[in-house]
Amino acid sequence: MRNTVRELRSARGLSQGQLGEALHVSRQTINAIETERYTPSLPLALELARFFGTTVEEMFDVDGAKAGE
Amino acid sequence: MSTERRPVSNPRAKWIVSALIVVIGIGYLVAASVGGKVQLGLEMLGIAIVIALVLLLFGGRSETIRGWRGDERDERFALIDLRATAFTGFVMAVVIIGAYIYELARGRSGEPYLWLGTIAGVTYIVSIAVLRLRG
Repeated sequence: MRNTVRELRSARGLSQGQLGEALHVSRQTINAIETERYTPSLPLALELARFFGTTVEEMFDVDGAKAGE
Repeated sequence: MSTERRPVSNPRAKWIVSALIVVIGIGYLVAASVGGKVQLGLEMLGIAIVIALVLLLFGGRSETIRGWRGDERDERFALIDLRATAFTGFVMAVVIIGAYIYELARGRSGEPYLWLGTIAGVTYIVSIAVLRLRG
């Protein structure tokens, strides 16, 4: 699922490992989310949104369009 | 709904899994010794020790090895584990049914494949019923 996780993470100067550590998931899981190979569970999506101070709807685009456009 | 989750890393898991593999290897050795095949038992124990050492020593940079030994499993890896387990079950079912049919064609009773297939089938049916009730 298309998302803005990479953009939000980069804007805060975080590495994938640092974000993963903050959310208690592996660096590879963050990478898989960013590259749209893995869709996170609802709790993890909510936690991501809470971490970046946004909403799940703004972060993830279920219709495939780039979120935020 | 709480979104709090456990830390992904469990440093004790690699020791527990590796020790369990060695214990299984010792079990093979004991069983093979009782059956008079000490050499086979030693070989099986040796294989178990090698696997345990690989899991202990080579997991530093490999997510796959860390996943095998269970010390770094988040929700994504739990899903991977679930899919791998399901695929393994599917392969085992195909092999058991195939072996049962082969044994029947050779004029044999089909045991132990008949029992293995029955256990697998009943386990699946009961699991579906129980898991459905749990949501």
